[in-house]
Amino acid sequence: MKIVAFAQNQYRKFPDDFQDRHEGTVTAPWSLAEPGEIRAAFRDYLDYIMQAARSGFDGVAFTEHAQTSYDMIANPSVIGGAIAYATETEGLDVAVYPVGRSLGKAREPVRVAEEYAMIDCISGGRLMAGFPVGLMFDAAINNGVPPIEVRHRYEENLRLILRAWRDPEPFAWNGRFTQLPSVNIWPRPLQQPLPVWITGVGNPATMKMALENNFGFNYFGWFGSELTAGRVFARFREVADGVGIDANPNRLAFMASVCVGETDEEAERVYGPHLEYFFNKGPGATQVGKLAIPGGISLPGIRFLLEDQAGDFGFAHEMRHASAERIFEVGAAVVGSPATVADRLIGIARGYGVGNLVVMLKMGSMPRDLVSDNVARFAESVLPRLRAETVGDDLPHRWWPERLGGSPEPAGAKLDALAGAA
Amino acid sequence: MAGIVLRERAVEVGGGRLTMRFRTAGTGPPLVYLHPAAGLHFDPFLETLSAEYTVIAPEHPGTSAGDADAIHAIDDLWDLVLVYEEAIRALDLEGPVAAVGQSFGGMMAAELAAHRPDFFERLVLLAPIGLWREDLPIANWIMTPPEELPALLFRDPGCPAAQAMFTPPEDPGEALALTAGLVWALGCTGKFVWPIPEKGLAKRLHRIAAPTLIVWGADDALIPSAYAREFGGRIVGSRVEILPDCGHIPQLERGAETLALVRGFLAG
Repeated sequence: MKIVAFAQNQYRKFPDDFQDRHEGTVTAPWSLAEPGEIRAAFRDYLDYIMQAARSGFDGVAFTEHAQTSYDMIANPSVIGGAIAYATETEGLDVAVYPVGRSLGKAREPVRVAEEYAMIDCISGGRLMAGFPVGLMFDAAINNGVPPIEVRHRYEENLRLILRAWRDPEPFAWNGRFTQLPSVNIWPRPLQQPLPVWITGVGNPATMKMALENNFGFNYFGWFGSELTAGRVFARFREVADGVGIDANPNRLAFMASVCVGETDEEAERVYGPHLEYFFNKGPGATQVGKLAIPGGISLPGIRFLLEDQAGDFGFAHEMRHASAERIFEVGAAVVGSPATVADRLIGIARGYGVGNLVVMLKMGSMPRDLVSDNVARFAESVLPRLRAETVGDDLPHRWWPERLGGSPEPAGAKLDALAGAA
Repeated sequence: MAGIVLRERAVEVGGGRLTMRFRTAGTGPPLVYLHPAAGLHFDPFLETLSAEYTVIAPEHPGTSAGDADAIHAIDDLWDLVLVYEEAIRALDLEGPVAAVGQSFGGMMAAELAAHRPDFFERLVLLAPIGLWREDLPIANWIMTPPEELPALLFRDPGCPAAQAMFTPPEDPGEALALTAGLVWALGCTGKFVWPIPEKGLAKRLHRIAAPTLIVWGADDALIPSAYAREFGGRIVGSRVEILPDCGHIPQLERGAETLALVRGFLAG
């Protein structure tokens, strides 16, 4: 089993009533930002990633959010470059996993291919390439992409990037969204092929795409894993069975907020306010309408959502004002003593057949010392128990860098076949 | 709508890439009606017009029942204008053809009339989109939460026309299908005007040769009525009428006045 440390870089000093007066995304007022805190946020963020890299994790992860106060990583390649170099100089053999960049919004897909190729070269072949479709407001508002085109742009961009990495010869690209007379990037990635990961929220079409194209599938538990994870992973199995593809646990990742204290009570007391900050002022402070702009969801998808509203989105509609108790109750975070946390994570890995756990040990308004304690306690007291778990260990890990023991295989063939048929 | 008989026509366009469907009603000279962003609904305005005209209303690609994916056959506004032009031409309409377009449909009517100055004998634009002024931004109707739509579209959200529009059907299945259809229609039309509903129409309006009537609600909260003069100033010989105490849908909120203006204008 692989354990990866992840975080978002949230602004930590908003006033208590922020979520009642503002949106956390797109219109979050920059006038509230203190320059000293912005500077400290980036330093603390990178220090967290490096602490995790030095603490025995298998990988480190970060992602992309634009015009978003709950994650100021507007381009994960900037973080990826810094982390790739720093870990290489210290001899830390960790996977470097940008969970984004979002390709539904990307207007310069070749630049994305180049940036990831550079990270792979700087890290000496430790990149895991994450490509989510992305958040609808990010594509449609922040980047002006018509919602109905986002999915199509995503697929074309992904095909172009995968070909730019693998094709040894220059080629012309006559796409609907990108036309280029000669694609021939320098550098190509060191890894041939590169492991590719998709993050999704439960859309069966995205699951099918991941399975048929040999992409890993990452799912996160912020909507309340007690409410959503069972049905989403069950759906993944159904889709996998439907297309006749094995359910190798290594192709699945689960992302969870994790808070480790000395005891359950202490953990809930210490981390509770910071979890409230994360959910109330972060994902919760985003109007649902920004995530479901007309055109972004197909007509059958709209019908499904209208008929089955709460379902996949768990407690999303409560996040803006959710209490710590509610956050614990729905499983939107894994909080407790080392034993409790280990039990819960092992339960998730075994129960859902997940071979990769992506743990978020820094969130919301947590000060740097508390983050550091959380990482240390997880590394000392939780990681050894997870190491004893063998979920997926008997099967090849085809979604992990070769240098780190994986055996990646080519990805994206089905997308090419579908595009060729169209 | 009780008492009105809707007929259907379908034509293959775009070299067989998609089918455009029309709803038609009434008898008399042909009148092409281009619907707004939310899709085609035969309202009392169209019903009344169908007593004197054959109302011919194309459904925007993707909004026809059972053919949601047709929208993916069209890439951009240029494609779309050609598809509409081809579809209307394929109907072989006899005699002079008038066109009425509302909001998004107003923009489409203006685009068609500019692209083919010989196409329409007379043109009526009801609060069309298609222009943009920095000082008068147009509301983003596609992202407006459902509960705020009545106030965006009507001067008086309590008026009977608004009530009729926003009272869901009793049958839950019907209500769900209606909501889903509305959301998808906004996405299908939004494809061509997102994120700013200005795609160069200002550079083409001067080509319109048909006598044109522009009708606007003085209190339009979606597109300020100052845009009436922007259209009027660019379409040579056009006439602008602004209705007091009226929002974005004059043919519903000021039905009698709008009908009188439109019928008088179409009769020449």
